[in-house]
Amino acid sequence: MSFKLKALLKSPWVFHLSTGSCNNCDIEVLDCLTPRFDVERFGMLLAPSIKHADVLLITGSCNRKSAERLKRLYEQAPKPILVVAIGECSLSRGMFMQSYNCPIPLDKIIPVDVYIPGCPPKPEAIIAGVVKLIEKIKSKTKKK
Amino acid sequence: MNREKILKNIKEKFKGDIIELFDKSPKRVYIEIKPQTIVKVASYIFKDLGARFNIASGVDTRFNIEILYHFTIEDINLLISLRVKLPKDNLEIDSLVKVFEGANWIEREIHELLGVKFKGHPDLRRLLLPDEWPEGVYPLRADYKEWDNNAIRDRGV
Repeated sequence: MSFKLKALLKSPWVFHLSTGSCNNCDIEVLDCLTPRFDVERFGMLLAPSIKHADVLLITGSCNRKSAERLKRLYEQAPKPILVVAIGECSLSRGMFMQSYNCPIPLDKIIPVDVYIPGCPPKPEAIIAGVVKLIEKIKSKTKKK
Repeated sequence: MNREKILKNIKEKFKGDIIELFDKSPKRVYIEIKPQTIVKVASYIFKDLGARFNIASGVDTRFNIEILYHFTIEDINLLISLRVKLPKDNLEIDSLVKVFEGANWIEREIHELLGVKFKGHPDLRRLLLPDEWPEGVYPLRADYKEWDNNAIRDRGV
């Protein structure tokens, strides 16, 4: 397990999933990937399919329909997979907490590794979160 | 036709059907009509006046459920909203799908979210709600109560 994690640290491939967000977080994620903030200098690439991905980025409050799709995606992902929740909606559902269509928060559906708060989080915050994720795994792998 | 002429024509043609005509601003008119006459009035506005059907919106106003059908006449930049008030014990109205196909999905959505029955709709299935949603629970009604016992409604702090 630790070897696999160590191997994926050099270039984590990212799969981006929007579970019914307002698309503002998605725009910020897109900003990160483009040359101005350039998250690729940490080796990150956007993977076209979950089967190629090492990291699952999730934005949006999981609603009843997308929660099922999210579970299915998580099952398809090659393990170990790291899950990053981006934005207030995926952390605690934000203003949609009482909504009839958002019954369960994301971290009660699948395990989450890093939380990046903000509505939407700045690209700097996303990069900081991602760097923290890498640090976290590094410290984990060192101990073992 | 200009704006005054159109409104005058509507007033004269549907004298008995219009309950209230509220001239809000140069760009916007609300016309409240009797629910039975919706097909007649809507097809006049759509076909004879050449208006575009934008969308319909449903609102729960405690004693009634209001449906607003929004039409735009683009040549003169006028938005006509046909307002229909349905009493809560008789939520039925004629479907507009036979007049214009664009009403199909929005009527399905109003049907599942507010529980209005559209008579003559070809395919009144669910559009947005998930399959496990119970029958007869309408989430956008004012008296909606939580039905899901597994739902978590706190932030966990």
